[in-house]
Amino acid sequence: MDAGGGGNTDVFGSSTAPLTWHDFLDRMRHPSAADFVKSIKSFIVSFSNRAPDPEKDSASVQEFLLNMEGAFKVHMLWAGSSEEELESAGEGLEKYIMTKLFNRAFASLPEDVKHDEELYEKISLLQQFVTPENLDIKPNFRNETSWLLAQKELQKINMYKAPRDKLVCILNCCKVINNLLINASIALKDNPPGADDFLPVLIYVTLKANPPQLYSNLLYIERYRRRSRLVSESAYFFTNIVSAESFIWNITAESLSMDEMEFQRKMDSARAYLLGQSTDIENLKDQANESIPDHKTQASEVQRSVGSYMQKNVYNVPPTPIVKAPSLSDLENKGASEILKDDQPIKYFQEYPFLFAQPGDLTVDDVENLLNCYKQLVFKYISLSKGMGIPIASPAASGTQSQSKADTDKESEGVIEEETSAEKV
Amino acid sequence: MGCSSSLPARNSGQIGSLSTEGSSVSDSKNLRVKLVLLGDSGVGKSCIVLRFVRGQFDPTSKVTVGASFLSQTVALQDSTTVKFEIWDTAGQERYAALAPLYYRGAAVAVVVYDITSPESFSKAQYWIKELQKHGSPDIVLALVGNKADLHENRSVPSQDAIDYAEKNGMFFIETSAKTADNINQLFEEIAKRLPRPTFHFLTVKPRNLSMSYIELSYTLLWLPTM
Repeated sequence: MDAGGGGNTDVFGSSTAPLTWHDFLDRMRHPSAADFVKSIKSFIVSFSNRAPDPEKDSASVQEFLLNMEGAFKVHMLWAGSSEEELESAGEGLEKYIMTKLFNRAFASLPEDVKHDEELYEKISLLQQFVTPENLDIKPNFRNETSWLLAQKELQKINMYKAPRDKLVCILNCCKVINNLLINASIALKDNPPGADDFLPVLIYVTLKANPPQLYSNLLYIERYRRRSRLVSESAYFFTNIVSAESFIWNITAESLSMDEMEFQRKMDSARAYLLGQSTDIENLKDQANESIPDHKTQASEVQRSVGSYMQKNVYNVPPTPIVKAPSLSDLENKGASEILKDDQPIKYFQEYPFLFAQPGDLTVDDVENLLNCYKQLVFKYISLSKGMGIPIASPAASGTQSQSKADTDKESEGVIEEETSAEKV
Repeated sequence: MGCSSSLPARNSGQIGSLSTEGSSVSDSKNLRVKLVLLGDSGVGKSCIVLRFVRGQFDPTSKVTVGASFLSQTVALQDSTTVKFEIWDTAGQERYAALAPLYYRGAAVAVVVYDITSPESFSKAQYWIKELQKHGSPDIVLALVGNKADLHENRSVPSQDAIDYAEKNGMFFIETSAKTADNINQLFEEIAKRLPRPTFHFLTVKPRNLSMSYIELSYTLLWLPTM
């Protein structure tokens, strides 16, 4: 069921990423591809030097992809190639240029960033009290623990830079939901699930997952995923997540079949709850001194966002005494997306000498060193979790998490290496 | 949520302005068509589609795919094929404002009601008005009264629906997903009503053509109907 590993496996049948990617880079290293490399580079430079204008930016990327794919088709490098191989080359090109242009093209307008922040805050409140009933999820399908898997798929969206890889996170999330709906309907001998069942669950999962920068991610996919590849089933499920975002953004008491007063009261106590939580984090942080700068930033962000909500309200509810910090996976996702935004993500990993080692590189002498590193890492992780007051995940779960994180890191590192070598051509 | 109060804005800054490229084109022999299903929840939208795609209704049978998106190809007598890409929509009232995101660029809209439910028939009329206002101008509309097998509980007279459909220039049929009555007829009739691009260039915008074709496409436009 876990379809999104480091390489972001495609469950929707189009060409798969890792193969496509390496094939594309190999062909670009061929001497006869020199002109392509030149046009790609000059496109990237001229794009990067322009001020952001999403409509123009999107049109110019779409046009460039279209023209280049046309040129690939008639070039000797792809002589005798099948449609699929040409499609792969197009995928590779899209991934290459959008990975390069990510910092310039993603969330490039202040109003989009603002929309993201407001949406994230709104979901942080809504997720505390919206129930499956509020969204018309049928009783048969109200198995909340099953949706965790779908949430995890959606939360991976910020680990990737390429529009296709981000889209695959959404498709995987939808696939998990579909499978669970089908299994439940078969077990209960109910009618096969349609959109009446699917959309409410997707909205619920989106509320629970609350991936940071959701709005910008959707805009980015829509603008920079090659149009001819955002069709059919992919387009359908993409439209569903766009709908989910739009529904959540416009949520009112009425759209949840709630009484206006009750809705306001629930929003207020959700705010108070978050405020209580961030106050607790502040306290913990003072005790835990300076060793956790990342978490400090997170805490003060929560503080700021909650503060702005509190100002908007005339009456405040006293903070609830319950302690609940952001979950480890929230922190992990936030961290991962910050690493991706960095120009040189590699610098964060330099103190871990074995991170990029292959099994063949290791000698028996390394075992002791490796074990020490492992112990240090575990100790750091447990102390940080304790320090933040976060329940520590079971060894099995944390094992898979660190595995998939290592895969992602490896991938981002790989991209950089590949890029450097592609530039050398 | 009011049905028209919170329609997603249509400016370019909003998400959801997916281009219609590829939604109803291919070549003149093989059409690819986006079909959107609208109607109250519980009228049997997904059962109609499953009947059409898999030829079955039995809810206990092992279904291996969701019914929210399905595609099915129909071969017509004139040796053309039509591949329907069927987009289901959530019919609950609270999701009504999201429908434009789904029917944008659709070549066909099938509006379904339940012949035992007058409310679902009024809802169907609401959708038809919406589509006439906001759908693409050449959209093929079909009105479908489902659950025809439950005729002893009928509360929407066929004549009402026939009159309504005639007044609105659309195709009407009563179906039963349970007995499979009229399911294939529904989709065959839709396929026949699709506008066929006899001349490829007629649907192409001048800027998408190289210079030599532009003159040709305008010449063809002046020819009498063939």
